[in-house]
Amino acid sequence: MKLAKVIRWEFNQTMRSKQFLIMTVMIPAIIGIAIFAATTAMGDEIAQAEPPPPHIIGVFLALILFIGAFISGIMTLYGVMKEKQSRVVEMMMSSVSAWDLMAGKILGLGLSGLIQVIVWAATVYFAASRFFPVSLASLTLVHWITYPLYFILGYLFIASIYATVGAAIKDMHSGGTVSFAGIIPYVPMMFAAAIISQPDRLLVRIASFIPPFTPGVMLLRIGATVALSEGTQSVPFWEIGLSLLSLGLGTLLMMRFATKVFEVGMLMTGKSASFRELWRWGIRGS
Amino acid sequence: METALLRVDGIEKSFADVMAVHGVSFEASRGEILGFLGPNGAGKTTSLRMILGILRQDRGSISFHLDSVTPTAPKERTGYLPEERGLYGDARALDLLVYFGELKGLSRTEARKRALDWLSRFDLSEWSGKKVEKLSKGMQQKVQFIAAVLHKPDFVVLDEPFSGLDPVNQDLLKEIIRTVRDEGAAVLLSSHQMNRVEELCDRLFLIHRGRRVLYGDLEAIKQAHGVHAVSMRFAGDGSYLRTLEGIDRLNLEAGRASFLLQAGTSPNQFVRSLPESIDVHALHVDRPPLHDIFVQTVEGGAL
Repeated sequence: MKLAKVIRWEFNQTMRSKQFLIMTVMIPAIIGIAIFAATTAMGDEIAQAEPPPPHIIGVFLALILFIGAFISGIMTLYGVMKEKQSRVVEMMMSSVSAWDLMAGKILGLGLSGLIQVIVWAATVYFAASRFFPVSLASLTLVHWITYPLYFILGYLFIASIYATVGAAIKDMHSGGTVSFAGIIPYVPMMFAAAIISQPDRLLVRIASFIPPFTPGVMLLRIGATVALSEGTQSVPFWEIGLSLLSLGLGTLLMMRFATKVFEVGMLMTGKSASFRELWRWGIRGS
Repeated sequence: METALLRVDGIEKSFADVMAVHGVSFEASRGEILGFLGPNGAGKTTSLRMILGILRQDRGSISFHLDSVTPTAPKERTGYLPEERGLYGDARALDLLVYFGELKGLSRTEARKRALDWLSRFDLSEWSGKKVEKLSKGMQQKVQFIAAVLHKPDFVVLDEPFSGLDPVNQDLLKEIIRTVRDEGAAVLLSSHQMNRVEELCDRLFLIHRGRRVLYGDLEAIKQAHGVHAVSMRFAGDGSYLRTLEGIDRLNLEAGRASFLLQAGTSPNQFVRSLPESIDVHALHVDRPPLHDIFVQTVEGGAL
């Protein structure tokens, strides 16, 4: 399977890079050690800290997962642009299909992104546990099942958007209007406080079913409601199911669109595409 | 000649409103090197990409006659050295070659074995563990060439394989390209270095403004062109050459001249026309170099 080979290559290349070493090993290690040292030195002073609200872990995890998916998505932008600018893409396209190359990149970088997110989540959990009595027990089955799904699908969706942008633009400095497309999935984060405080508002519920917003909105909604003390309505299962279905479909369509743009755009190095050209490439394939 | 491995029939491609390739047809067979020539922007790269299945043609057909007849060759059986060079700079040379070999269907061990073989053939063994970006441009080029032929493709496209190589390496590469051909591959060689094309190619194809303007056996093309290239050294006044009819591209200096005899003028006629006033020391008449045919064809429009 060529796809598996591309995934392995992209994954290995990322794991060997200096950035990965710094971001995933060195910085978390330094933070962990610093917090351990600081809290040990402070001793009993922090032991009396108020216990946090019960949903804090869910919300924190939601934020980490979303930001992890988003940052890994941006990594695909860099990966795709590097592939395009170094011109290695022509050689690759004579060896594998556009789909294998793009999907391999997205999945390979996604796997290394997953490792990064796990390391960061563990670091944050460790840091928090030095200040508050936090416990993973406050996560419910709903968290364990839905969070990975929203993370994976969310990452695939965001990464496809960034792969599309990377294939369509000339370079970082002349991306034109197309590069703004990458901001769309981030919009829910700008309203994070509002979503957390009113997770059942109609507008929030509607946004849950619009694929670009689904990962951000649903992670926050579930984080804010599921583990709340009795009396709070958790997110209805049908809404979770429907949002996953729409995100899944949206991801499939987005990846298809990205592949078509990839096929045309990766070999066009002269200029950045306009939205109209992007649309034409993505729908008609030329 | 056995049946063609590649048949291209009237392919066309336009981008937005510009027609890049305009009804191009040709064939390529095993065991031959076909020169694929044309001025910059003539539609060469676009044609090559269509043949390799990277772009789709708007019209016309491409067929590969391998085990069966297919409109695109399985990617495992083609090799491509694009004109725009590029490799993964932060990968080690050997790892990169193994990766490309694997993508072309070789097993990991086989790819590794062949890659090491090729690296030593190009005198790059000690660089196999170095990152590609640490290699000189010429070395990177050799690595990329290896990636194009590592899997013993049936059909190889080499776009400007000699650019950036020193004369020693150019000669080495020339021999290797011949070996690839002799092992039974059909080779498409695109280059602006006409002397290299002349040395290597059995047949050639010239594309200009998206259309085919010359196609066929190299010798036959030269003959059909009808022109002779003359160079001579002499004592005396050569200025009579300026008045002579049937002469093109005259380059006259004291004691030496070079020019083309137009199609209507035979070498015999020219020799008879030599006046007593000049004393010929050396006279060389030959079919014109490909360079001149190229320039004339392109500047004079379609034949």
